[in-house]
Amino acid sequence: MLVTKYVITSPESNILPSDIAMKIYGSKHDVTVKETCMGVTINGEESVIDEVVKEIRSLDPAGIFIKDRGFPPGDPRRCRGRRGGGARPGFYMIESECKILPMISRALAAEGDVPSLPEKKRPLPPGRLEEIVKEGLS
Amino acid sequence: MIRIAQLSCGAEYSGIQREIERAAETVGATLVYPEVSLEDILNVESSFGVSVSSGDLNMAMARAVRIVQNPDLADAVIVMTCFRCAEAAIIRSEIRKYIHENSKIPVLSYSFTERTTAETLLTRMEALVTTVKYRGLLAREKQTGLTAGIDSGSTTTKAVVMRDNQVIGTGWNPTTEVLQSAEDALTAALKMSGVAREELQAIGVTGYGRFLVGKHINAKLIQEEITVNSKGAVFLADAQKGPATVIDIGGMDNKAISVQDGIPGGFTMGGICAGASGRFLELTAKRLGVDITELGKLALKGNYQNVAMNSYCIVFGTQSLVNNLAMGRKPEDVAMAACHSVAEQVYEQQLQEVEVKEPVIMVGGTSLIEGLPKAMEELLQIKVTVPKYAQYIGAVGAALLVSGLLED
Amino acid sequence: MAKVIVYPPTSMILSDLVSRMGHKALVVPEAVRNLVTESKIQSPPLNMTPEEPKKGLRYAAVDVPSGVRGRMSLIGPIIEESEAAIIVEDPGWLTGCSGCSRTNELVRLLIRTKGIPVLDLSYPTNDDEARVFVQKIRSFLEGLN
Repeated sequence: MLVTKYVITSPESNILPSDIAMKIYGSKHDVTVKETCMGVTINGEESVIDEVVKEIRSLDPAGIFIKDRGFPPGDPRRCRGRRGGGARPGFYMIESECKILPMISRALAAEGDVPSLPEKKRPLPPGRLEEIVKEGLS
Repeated sequence: MIRIAQLSCGAEYSGIQREIERAAETVGATLVYPEVSLEDILNVESSFGVSVSSGDLNMAMARAVRIVQNPDLADAVIVMTCFRCAEAAIIRSEIRKYIHENSKIPVLSYSFTERTTAETLLTRMEALVTTVKYRGLLAREKQTGLTAGIDSGSTTTKAVVMRDNQVIGTGWNPTTEVLQSAEDALTAALKMSGVAREELQAIGVTGYGRFLVGKHINAKLIQEEITVNSKGAVFLADAQKGPATVIDIGGMDNKAISVQDGIPGGFTMGGICAGASGRFLELTAKRLGVDITELGKLALKGNYQNVAMNSYCIVFGTQSLVNNLAMGRKPEDVAMAACHSVAEQVYEQQLQEVEVKEPVIMVGGTSLIEGLPKAMEELLQIKVTVPKYAQYIGAVGAALLVSGLLED
Repeated sequence: MAKVIVYPPTSMILSDLVSRMGHKALVVPEAVRNLVTESKIQSPPLNMTPEEPKKGLRYAAVDVPSGVRGRMSLIGPIIEESEAAIIVEDPGWLTGCSGCSRTNELVRLLIRTKGIPVLDLSYPTNDDEARVFVQKIRSFLEGLN
């Protein structure tokens, strides 16, 4: 079965979409590659794609992320150029998650103990709020 | 090519996107989706006034803001969301209002189910495109020359002959065989006006049977009833300048159109259930044993509050009609209750979807059932105008519009 | 290897982390792929037809909006297949397959009432939170083995 995947690089990764494309072009795999603003989309037989994904990840294990895509690359049914403009709805989710990727990359690459997080903020107890109001009014 | 911006939520997942596209293609339009950024979507609370938990609705609002900021992006707008979604119903209505109030772009709103087909959308889409494409023609205020209009409706077929801005002949009959009914109505109108058919400079056709009749009689204008009726209404009610609201309760469906300077700006066309149609009043008259032309006068003598009747479904409506008569309620009260019930359905289901601005003009055969405009006045708390020739509204609109094509 | 459904079901970050940690992420694009590449029906863009909302009746009644039922026809079978779940709190920017909040509520409910192990998280807002985020997912997935 032919499958399509997004290969998305963290904005802080040193790997460029063109590096990934070159890596695939240089390999023996029968895979279609299309560069996008956030990485590349790759399309090919599932087993081949799995192999390719492993190779691509090795370029920057913590900085490259993979996502499944339903439509083949450049599918006219989803292409904004052919469908009255406007990004396809899922684009905004990828864009949003991309903003978090640098943090995720650093977390994946980090070693040692995981930091303890400060307790979540809770609402002020009503009694204390009352005291503050009284102080403010006096 | 007319560009219709589609602002919607759920259309693709309801499996009807193809139907929307088919309807657009049929009327020579293309669907567009204005470009917005992630920030535009995240900022709709400040730009539009609210953000909701469904992201696709936020995206629709962001696109609406974009269109208002840059009206060149689209010629018309359709706002479509899933039927029975409360969150979407609020936003759909607010987007429609927002576009209507902040731009001159005509807007249509519609709630769909998976059963919505291109055919359902076609008349609405055709009207939307007409308001864009024939703005000049629709701005026409006077009928010139000698023309005829035929309204091939679902229940009755109407025809008028007009000369130099005056109606000089009318004809109508119940719609049976579509072509024959049209022929008969036109013949009657010609006879009354003393004009021979060959003398007519052009004929315009509207209504359900417009394509068949139009082809048969070689009509110069074949046009859906939303634009034609609104044109006919403002012409007959002498409300061609400024705002107006046209309500047409038909035999099979109802139209509520908000008009500005004679051009429809927003409209709804409903007719899911027959309890809100002229059909129900016809049935009431039959059950009361009065002629439909007498039902209105009878209703004026009655009080709807003495009879419990409120149903969008003709079956349930008839049931309460029968029950009330069996309980010994007065025929006049029942007649008024039936008028009130129909008006209430239209008020609840359709008038919420358009801007109701004065004057409110009621047209179509049902507007002559006096109880109905009265019931509508009570609900709206606005005076309702029923112009002369109200039952010939589509035929008058068609005769008026087709005269505009004579000079071209 | 466990089959893990992630929420939002279109999340790149979650599906990537599940896959790189050796498990199978169940995601909506796979369901979309079947529709757009396998189906012979031409109903662009998604090749969804009124049949999909009808299939969704398995998960929601007929008075539930058609868009919810159509989406459920894609997501419902994935929930049925899942053996574990990671749910990240709605970040406020879900669009497309996750663009309907009513569907998302139903999806979360069906996942939680299924009785499978569920990890609840929020998207991180700083590096420390990101480290805890990744660590929690790692431990959760290791625990499934």
